[in-house]
Amino acid sequence: MTSVESGADGGRWLDAHYDPVAGLYTFSSCVDLADLSGDGENRLVVGDLGTGSSGMKLKVYRGTALMSENTLLDLPAGLVAFFMDLHEPRIPTIAVASGPCIYLYKNLRPYFKFTLPSLEVNALEQDVWQQAREGQIDPLTLKEMLESIRKKADVPLSIRSLRFLSLEADDLDEFVQLHKQQPIKRQTVITCIDTLKKSTADEDGVSCLVVGTESSDVFILDSKAFIILSKMSLPAPPTMMDVTGQFDVEFRITAACRNGNIYILRRESDKPKYSVELSSHPVGLVRVGKNVLVGCTDESLQGFTQKGKKLWKIVLPAPITTMAPMDLPTRGFQGVLVGLANCEVYLYRDKNLLSTIKTPDVVTSICFGRYGREDGTLIMTTKGGGLMVKILKRTAVFDDRDSAPGPPLAQSIRLNVPKKTKLYVDQTLRERESGVAMHRAFQMDLSRVRLAATKAYVKALESSLTPMSASLSEPLKMNAVVQGLGPSFKLTLHIQNTAACRPVMNLAISFLYDEKLYRIRDPYMRIPLLVPGLIYPVGTFVDCTNDKGVADIIKVFVLHEGKSSPLLTAHINMPVSEGLAS
Amino acid sequence: ITEEAVTTRENTFFLSECFFPAAPELPIVERNWLIHQHYLRKDYETCKVIIKNQLQETNGMCEYAIYVQALILRLEGRIQESLELLQSCTILNPSSTDNLKQVARSLFLLGKHKAAIEVYHEAARLCDKDWEISHNLGVCFFFIKDFKHAEEHLNAALQINKHDKTFMMLGKVHLVAGETDKAIEVFKRAVEFSPENTEHLSTLGLLYLQLGKYQKAFEHLGNALTFDPNNYKAILAAGSMMQTHGDFDVAMNKYRVAACAVPESPPLWNNIGMCFFGKKKYVAAISCLKRAHYLSPFDWKVLYNLGLVHLTMQQYASAFHFLSAAISLNPRMGELYMLLAVALTNLEDVENSTRAYEQAVNLDESNPLVNLNFAIFLYNHGDKTGALDQYQEMQRKVNILQDSSSSFEFDPELMDMAQKMGAALQVGESLQWTKAGKDSKSKPHSAALAKNPSTPLGTNQALGQAMSSAASYNKNIQLPAGTVASQQSLRNKQWQDFV
Repeated sequence: MTSVESGADGGRWLDAHYDPVAGLYTFSSCVDLADLSGDGENRLVVGDLGTGSSGMKLKVYRGTALMSENTLLDLPAGLVAFFMDLHEPRIPTIAVASGPCIYLYKNLRPYFKFTLPSLEVNALEQDVWQQAREGQIDPLTLKEMLESIRKKADVPLSIRSLRFLSLEADDLDEFVQLHKQQPIKRQTVITCIDTLKKSTADEDGVSCLVVGTESSDVFILDSKAFIILSKMSLPAPPTMMDVTGQFDVEFRITAACRNGNIYILRRESDKPKYSVELSSHPVGLVRVGKNVLVGCTDESLQGFTQKGKKLWKIVLPAPITTMAPMDLPTRGFQGVLVGLANCEVYLYRDKNLLSTIKTPDVVTSICFGRYGREDGTLIMTTKGGGLMVKILKRTAVFDDRDSAPGPPLAQSIRLNVPKKTKLYVDQTLRERESGVAMHRAFQMDLSRVRLAATKAYVKALESSLTPMSASLSEPLKMNAVVQGLGPSFKLTLHIQNTAACRPVMNLAISFLYDEKLYRIRDPYMRIPLLVPGLIYPVGTFVDCTNDKGVADIIKVFVLHEGKSSPLLTAHINMPVSEGLAS
Repeated sequence: ITEEAVTTRENTFFLSECFFPAAPELPIVERNWLIHQHYLRKDYETCKVIIKNQLQETNGMCEYAIYVQALILRLEGRIQESLELLQSCTILNPSSTDNLKQVARSLFLLGKHKAAIEVYHEAARLCDKDWEISHNLGVCFFFIKDFKHAEEHLNAALQINKHDKTFMMLGKVHLVAGETDKAIEVFKRAVEFSPENTEHLSTLGLLYLQLGKYQKAFEHLGNALTFDPNNYKAILAAGSMMQTHGDFDVAMNKYRVAACAVPESPPLWNNIGMCFFGKKKYVAAISCLKRAHYLSPFDWKVLYNLGLVHLTMQQYASAFHFLSAAISLNPRMGELYMLLAVALTNLEDVENSTRAYEQAVNLDESNPLVNLNFAIFLYNHGDKTGALDQYQEMQRKVNILQDSSSSFEFDPELMDMAQKMGAALQVGESLQWTKAGKDSKSKPHSAALAKNPSTPLGTNQALGQAMSSAASYNKNIQLPAGTVASQQSLRNKQWQDFV
């Protein structure tokens, strides 16, 4: 937006900390703030994806320093801090979702591991493996049968069968021997995790976990007994969720799915109640008050009601990288922070842009909340692995700009109208005074030029001086190429019959040249029958007999047998011979 | 002893474990969520690395990884490769509509519309109420010029779910099929559905403009500009409407915005030039028009305007060149020949001027000015009967124009000149220009002339007036021409979008 004043964030933020080499690789879903030691000071908890395949860590920051690190077994898909019981002191538990498990950490120590229930296994698949175990079928038959099951079945195959199908024929037997005793399991993985208050809306009330899985299900888990309270299913795997309400009263889960749609689940039903079809994939999903704001890959931010009705859409200047809510309950402020690929973070309240923050790198995750003892802290990680902490000034105000931004800035830019010189003006005056004379002179000269051109053309036609023959019976085209440095040159003439279908025959080539200067090996050549369209190269050698460095024109004539005037003529400007005359 | 027994037991247990090796836990390597997260963030490089790892670990059996890989390849323009990958996806999972849809999309991008349609139909069998399938079917049918089916499928898409894209496409289908009224209905619905979509608003505005419904056109263009003050299309159309009404300063304000956004647009500089012309800043007008001409050398409208401005500047020799260039680009327009004749008259080339006028009169069908100027020219050169013929022809055209719309307004200069001419030819009173006020205004003139009917019109002054009348009248007809220019070029743009 052009209306934002320069210095974009308007000095509303204090730069508290910036570590460009913190080495964090994470998403907004893996960052949270929590009072982990019950001393009223919030810590930053980050699920670090490490290199993307190894070195995954659970990192906890206090102030500007890294306080602790725990190694994670698998990539964290999401991380939440929540209260799982009513014990005093009130210390939240951290739940890290990775693979099919949720790892719970209390006081930064591993406390419990919950694994999602395994999925239903295809009955046919089970049968087939049973037969394999009993030795009734050999591995190759097994492979064939599994293949046919895979093609038809509604229930997908287990990992084991898929792995088996991908093996080479030699390894099949070994694989069957190794695995046949084990029961078949089909496991899914967690794609996103969030929390839902159990029965009270209190800040430190007990929460349930809400888990979205690759198998397109949403589970609500009781955090005390770790039993599944509710299971709901979606048409596609969820990628992000927003959960509001209380489990015992009424709740609403807004889930953005991998098929590009958003579904809204409610307490009563295990199927989505409302759905929103977007025209592009959602990157960020944030609820502000009663509205859901969705950032899409087509560089737009859209607002929807909680029933999925579209409210507005604004276009952003760059692709969205991440989104996070900005809640300041003490000031009654609710907004949304949108990280963009052009190294900026935009703050919106509804569709109004309130402020922009420039960042030194592309932001990959944003988290706003209480950090340390400071309520309005903005924590961002960057693509290069940096960690940035900014604090909202207590004096900062975000005034709602009028949504109509007024005339665009460009309107006051002067038009770049080219200036005219004094000479131009003088010429104009001269034309005004003597326009008639100018016009007449011009017309006269134009006629002369035309006449001269026509004369030359007629002359060329009459004496067949052109390399094109326009005669109806023998339409020919010729061009000549001279190769060599001298004193011997190769002269190649390319002759083409441009007639539609009639061949031309009985043609010959002859040359006119200064015999003191040049010697042509074949001064007279017969041309074969010319088939229309083809280009015929006719070559000969020219020797320069003079060593004085002079060059002359060689004239080439194409003649028809029995006619004295040539069909066409070409003038070849010979190059100066650079070699010594032989 | 007991202690020893315990250790042996432990040992045997250990041994047995070694003896019957437990099958290793097969790791679940599905990281689809991670691939998806990176894909969404357009971080394709990281995405490709993860996909490569995942495909290695699963021996190429991970459907989603292949799927995303294909989408990335397609974004990189390697459509054929993406198509092959997507086809292998459909082999891995033949029941997925997503895979089929993407196969069809790749086929569509390769220009194999018929094949794409078949695949979409197949996908539709798996999942019948899908907006995307219906929409894309519509687009495919549009490209193979089967507008009837295109319309059908797009309407079906709209019934399943309303999307801006579908409205736009349906509108285009109607426009290409020549059904402007239907297109307008579609865009009306589109504007109702998403009232802030500037593309719909400006397209609807342009359509109204084409139909001559200026009030509605301006309303929609204005709305488009409210939501997006930088909308080039709307600025150009709204600006040319303002120009027609003489609001040159407001129009210029709008053009300044457009000039920042699209500094190399020929219609824009043409319109700016004519704004300066309207404000009587002729040198600036010439500068802008010449820039427009430089940017689009084969646009006869720019040449027409250049000719007109040069006539006004009394640079007849230059005007002659621009006008003859315009004529060679558009040889079927009477007004161009008339302007050429005016230039030639001033260059004292009576013979060619007469021929140009004759050509102009032959080609023109409705513009009385052509005949009036010819009449004046003939009168000035002593051909009274010829002048009278032309004068009557002019009267006929004026009557037709008046009959066709009662509110038609003639240029006062044209009327004035016609009155004088009528008086000179002694037929002045018979022509009623408009009602009431105009009459009273024109009467003293004709009276004055009637007193002295032999006043020669052949003075340079009178001719100059006729000329300036021609110029100023043309200024008025020109501006709509400018509008047309902007519209046409915009339509061209839409055409390019289609193709």
